Amino acid sequence: MDDDLERLRRLRPDRVEPDDPPEPAVFVRMKEQLMSQIATYEPEASIGATSDLYPRLAYADQLAAIEHLERVFQLHEIREARMDHGDHVLAWLRIGSGIVMLGPPNEEVHRIVSPRDAGATTVQMMVYVDDVDAHYARAVAEGADVTMALEDAFYGERRYEATDPEGHRWHFAERFAHIAARGGTVPEPQPEQDC
Amino acid sequence: MEVEPDAELIAASLDDPERFGPLFDRHASVLYRYLIRRVGVDEAEGLLGDVFRIAFEKRSGYDPDRPDARPWLYGIATNLVAHRRRSEARRLDAVARLLGTVPTIDGAASGSDPTAERAAGRVDAEAGWPHIADAVAALPAGERDALLLYAWEDLSYAEIAEALAVPVGTVRSRLNRARAHLRELDVVSGR
Repeated sequence: MDDDLERLRRLRPDRVEPDDPPEPAVFVRMKEQLMSQIATYEPEASIGATSDLYPRLAYADQLAAIEHLERVFQLHEIREARMDHGDHVLAWLRIGSGIVMLGPPNEEVHRIVSPRDAGATTVQMMVYVDDVDAHYARAVAEGADVTMALEDAFYGERRYEATDPEGHRWHFAERFAHIAARGGTVPEPQPEQDC
Repeated sequence: MEVEPDAELIAASLDDPERFGPLFDRHASVLYRYLIRRVGVDEAEGLLGDVFRIAFEKRSGYDPDRPDARPWLYGIATNLVAHRRRSEARRLDAVARLLGTVPTIDGAASGSDPTAERAAGRVDAEAGWPHIADAVAALPAGERDALLLYAWEDLSYAEIAEALAVPVGTVRSRLNRARAHLRELDVVSGR
């Protein structure tokens, strides 16, 4: 009678393939991080406290958008902030010190539309990341729609661009100085040009 | 020395936040393994940090009548998993495919003859482990959560109810529905 559960128990991943015991260092690191978050936690801090300016992006399918932004672009939803209204969701996602809000298209009140319906976008998300090479590799591996391949821009940043499933355009970049500081290689400085 | 129940640490941490720390020591390993089982090791570490951060931020709402905080932490972790359905489905799929190719290491589920085990493994592959994984992945999230907390994590009905913030009767009906789904599948692939 418990057959169905027995099969399910056998599907438990560590019964199929034993996990390596977790690296103790993982817990040490996580605990340190937690204790430092606890030490600096401000109960009154609202979502907006990190960033007083943040864009609101419209997506017809908000859950698909959250999934994509987290998996492909490594944003992180502030899960406890989510407001689920049944037919739509409002959500806030963090990347670095920045925040984006996303919600449904709303032509009546806010007059915002999904780029997919508009056939165009009028805003581009500009994001600095810690390691743009790794960020790019992950995005590509996760099937990002890359609209500008990773390249070194003349003004001293490595960058790429990708479009999300509804057509919002994302630009990810890292400054050469930052790349060099983490041990990455950057282009030789170009000789000054006469002008 | 008496060990302070989780509930007391949580209450004490309202005035003295550092008192929250031992909760991590007590529960991090179990929750980490739970997260690995559900979404894989790559995402589990980040989620583990979120579980304890969110728990800390929400600690004033903790029910002090529940001495053991583990079901509550399972609930927070489960909420976070809910938004990684694709990782979860990939994880299930990978495990199902493995089940077809390696002998199970769960002694209880198989005999001691390795040849027979391997043969059984092949039979399992043919009997449709991937289909079972698909069926689990396709369950409504509430049913899948209840089912996996029960079958993988060995939580009681009451603990699952606490984790998912639903009445015990709801846990029971979710488990019944989920199991009915899986049994249906057995009929289909049972030959």
